[in-house]
Amino acid sequence: MRKHLLISLFHGVVLTLLSSFAFSIQAGSPEQIIRNNCVGCHIPESDDKLSRISYQRRTPEGWEMTIARMQLMHHVRISDQEIPISDEIIQKLVKYFADRQGLAPSESANYRYILERRLNVVEQHPDAEFAVMCARCHSGARVALQRRTEQEWRHLVHFHLGQFPTSEYSAGGRDRNWFEVALNNTVPYLAKHYPLKTQAWTEWQKVKKPQLEGSWRLIGNQPGKGDFQGVMTAIETEKDNYKLSVSGYYANGDSLTGEGSAIVYTGYEWRSTLTLDTQVFNQVMAANGHGDEMSGRMFLRDHEETGIQLSATKMDGKSRVLGVMPNHIKAGTEQTLRLVGTALAGDIVLAKGLMITDTVSRDSENILLKVKAAKDLAVGNTDIKVGNSRLMNGLVVYDQVSHLEVEPSYAVARVGDNGGATRKTLASFQAVGYSAGVDGKPGTEDDLRIGYLPAQWSVRAFNAQAEKDQDVHFAGKMNKNTGIFTPAAAGPNPKRKYSTNNAGNLAVIATVQQGDKSVTGTGQLLVTVQRWNNPPIR
Amino acid sequence: MRMTKLMIFLTNLSARSLLISTVMLMVGCSQAVTKTDPDGYPKAAPKDYMVIVNRPNRVNLIDLTTNQIVRSCQLPGTAAPGTVVMSPDNRIAYILADHFSNVYGVNIDNCELVFSAFQSYANIRIRSLASIAISPDGKSLYTHQNPVRLLSDHFEVMDTRIAVYNTADGLKAQPVKTYPAPRQVTIMATDKNGTLYLGAPDIYAMNPNTGETRLAIKSRGLETPHFSQRDSLTVWPIGSVSNEFIRMYTTARYQDETQDIDKAKWLWGYERIDLTTGEAESREFGPLEVVLFTGMTRPGDKNQMYAVLTQLKKYDVSRQQELMSVDLEHTYYCLNFSTDGSKIYLAGTFNDIAIYDADTLQKLGNIQLTGGDMSMSTPQIFAREI
Ligand code: HEC
Ligand code: HEC
Repeated sequence: MRKHLLISLFHGVVLTLLSSFAFSIQAGSPEQIIRNNCVGCHIPESDDKLSRISYQRRTPEGWEMTIARMQLMHHVRISDQEIPISDEIIQKLVKYFADRQGLAPSESANYRYILERRLNVVEQHPDAEFAVMCARCHSGARVALQRRTEQEWRHLVHFHLGQFPTSEYSAGGRDRNWFEVALNNTVPYLAKHYPLKTQAWTEWQKVKKPQLEGSWRLIGNQPGKGDFQGVMTAIETEKDNYKLSVSGYYANGDSLTGEGSAIVYTGYEWRSTLTLDTQVFNQVMAANGHGDEMSGRMFLRDHEETGIQLSATKMDGKSRVLGVMPNHIKAGTEQTLRLVGTALAGDIVLAKGLMITDTVSRDSENILLKVKAAKDLAVGNTDIKVGNSRLMNGLVVYDQVSHLEVEPSYAVARVGDNGGATRKTLASFQAVGYSAGVDGKPGTEDDLRIGYLPAQWSVRAFNAQAEKDQDVHFAGKMNKNTGIFTPAAAGPNPKRKYSTNNAGNLAVIATVQQGDKSVTGTGQLLVTVQRWNNPPIR
Repeated sequence: MRMTKLMIFLTNLSARSLLISTVMLMVGCSQAVTKTDPDGYPKAAPKDYMVIVNRPNRVNLIDLTTNQIVRSCQLPGTAAPGTVVMSPDNRIAYILADHFSNVYGVNIDNCELVFSAFQSYANIRIRSLASIAISPDGKSLYTHQNPVRLLSDHFEVMDTRIAVYNTADGLKAQPVKTYPAPRQVTIMATDKNGTLYLGAPDIYAMNPNTGETRLAIKSRGLETPHFSQRDSLTVWPIGSVSNEFIRMYTTARYQDETQDIDKAKWLWGYERIDLTTGEAESREFGPLEVVLFTGMTRPGDKNQMYAVLTQLKKYDVSRQQELMSVDLEHTYYCLNFSTDGSKIYLAGTFNDIAIYDADTLQKLGNIQLTGGDMSMSTPQIFAREI
């Protein structure tokens, strides 16, 4: 979307490749692979360092992308035949580099959305010039998830302009002397904010890395589908490699069960692939320092936009209340609530005015309760206690939904399929309910977030242009019950003016019924064209 | 960042329109009949012809009297971008091809390849955006080069330059001279005296005998309190039939010193060099309502400005008014005129050329090319005897 005409035009550019180097990859240790395949172009230096390679740090996905580029652009070869490096060998190299030249947890913490493929996050860059210089073709996170010496940042600028000459011609580039600004302003900026040597990394290298074997209590939420909980068991098969089994359930009773495997990079970067029922999922999570919690996202490999925001808690015998499903109850109603936790035992204590009318079932991970909330109950967050463990503010008591927010407030869906190579990118929305709080006025400080509420969904034209172009008709269909939008097919549509494709600019409307009054919330959905390549870090 | 709104607008639009052509290319375009040249065309009075490139590698000579393709030559490389400049005698089409890298000279009377320049050499890779031009005596070909040195483990972007080739050097010509030149050059042209104009952030005039360069039109560098920074993007060196080097720009006119962009009025303007007199001018010519890719003044009357993308529009320059606008069947990137200024030819995007009456903007017909789309090729029109 951000790309201007010329960038796209250059995409097809076939490059004059450096073909004079031929290396052979032999299976073996990473060191051997590197010696056989990277040395020759990359020059060995003292202390086992290699030119370029030793002066950069990045995420596993970052290493994967760079090594893929070495193969694609610079023809790293096996023997003298042009056989692509096998996935297995790439895997070995990624692991090797990510462990030795990765990012500390605190260095990746603010940019996990890009690793988790949460592509609707609207980035906020503290520096406006950085945003235009470096975050208009790809995310700023792609940059912020690397650490380099100043010289390496400079090399990167030369690589960009050398490889993508349109960088300085496209919108956001041609309004300034791009190359000069990049060298004189951006490189020092990057070297200052994202230097190779940091205290965080020095310390993380010394820390004993958490042990992640065991059973994990999963809890999460999937837009369009609702709350999710389950158990994942991880057995370490070799260092940093795990065999996994998952059994999980959505709140509506659908199950998600299967097996897979995980690799841990840099001591905390959890990456797994699982086949659950018939679908392949990936997990991207970060473990905490104690190794008793991981958080991140589990998404469909082939539809990254569809997935569960997930946290995993080690089932280490410690009693914990992790969540309540749903997390809210309306004053004056009776409702079934599920308490999710680990080693749950002992008496259940809810806030005053919340009466347990029935304990439907209970074991150490799940407690199913029927709870009645008194009519005049005070609105607010309440705690839940089971035995000695307490979940603070785990259950919201509310009276009226005063307003709704659509989450995400801005999303992008992409046309696809229709015989083309690119799948559709769906967009899933959720309605977050708010109560006006004690003062009864919405939009004030004491507003209370209730949580995700079931809503009815619809779309309309976002503005006059979208109305005129009949975007609602052409761009795709909103499922009125789930909030999942399926964009239309790719390609020019002869029924549209100028045979344009099925792009559109839509307002997304969530409606929740409150007695005979309805409360609505609005978001925006841009339906646009496919991305032709979808690297792990956008 | 003052241009944000327009940038988004432009981006959306180009994403939409570009996709069309990409997809059309993938599914293969419709067939058309090509009439190849019967030998021994009778000598006739000068008539209008067009030269344009389409995919995968065709250079077409079109008779604009009959709207038939006279000849379709094969380029040894791939079409993109297909920027065309004609030799002064209009016999040789110089074409930037092979993904912005090589230049071929094709004799359009017999399809003979008479010139080639492979710009990259050793470990230096060279791209030219759409910037090629020819001297008025036809002896020198100019390209603007973006070189990068590919070293074993890093790249090094080099200074940009103008390369001068002798057209007489024929195949595999090497530059005979290079001059330092500004970065970010897209289109170029020469005037009657041989001055070379470079469409860069500002427009520069270079003496190609000495490399001496002066500012011809201040554009991006212009600081006028009542206007936002100009923005210009063109890769189409059109204008020869109107004897002009021309490119359009967008700008916003502020209401007052507060430079409130929301209250500003968006305008189209052009920067123009008269290729006979060398006279330079730049001015706004109408309101910015839709995105347009190319525009030219009408041969013989530079107060009439025409521009195109999804619509074909006609402007009264002195009154800064849009006079007429017609919706097109699809986007056309590039327009040009018949030499007498009576007809407009719309090209680029797909593989059909649309013909319009310049007075009424009535559609007169289409010319179908055989093969793929024209993409960003430049249609050059000229009158000669064949
Ligand atoms: C055929 C030569 C060649 C081989 C073999 C090669 N590289 Fe490179 N490498 C380059 C060039 C050229 C660049 C600079 C251009 C670029 O960044 O793509 C580069 C850049 C890099 C960079 C810096 C990228 C950046 O973003 O700044 C890394 C890291 C790297 N290579 C790693 C490797 C590894 C690991 C191997 C072995 C698997 C390898 N290279 C093999 C030629 C090579
Ligand atoms: C004109 C579009 C454009 C602009 C502007 C741009 N990038 Fe990139 N960048 C790309 C593309 C395309 C790639 C993917 C290269 C590949 O791997 O094939 C990339 C890749 C990268 C990578 C990953 C390289 C690696 O192998 O690790 C980093 C880091 C990066 N860019 C940083 C920057 C910085 C810093 C800036 C600003 C100085 C910037 N980019 C500006 C297009 C752009």
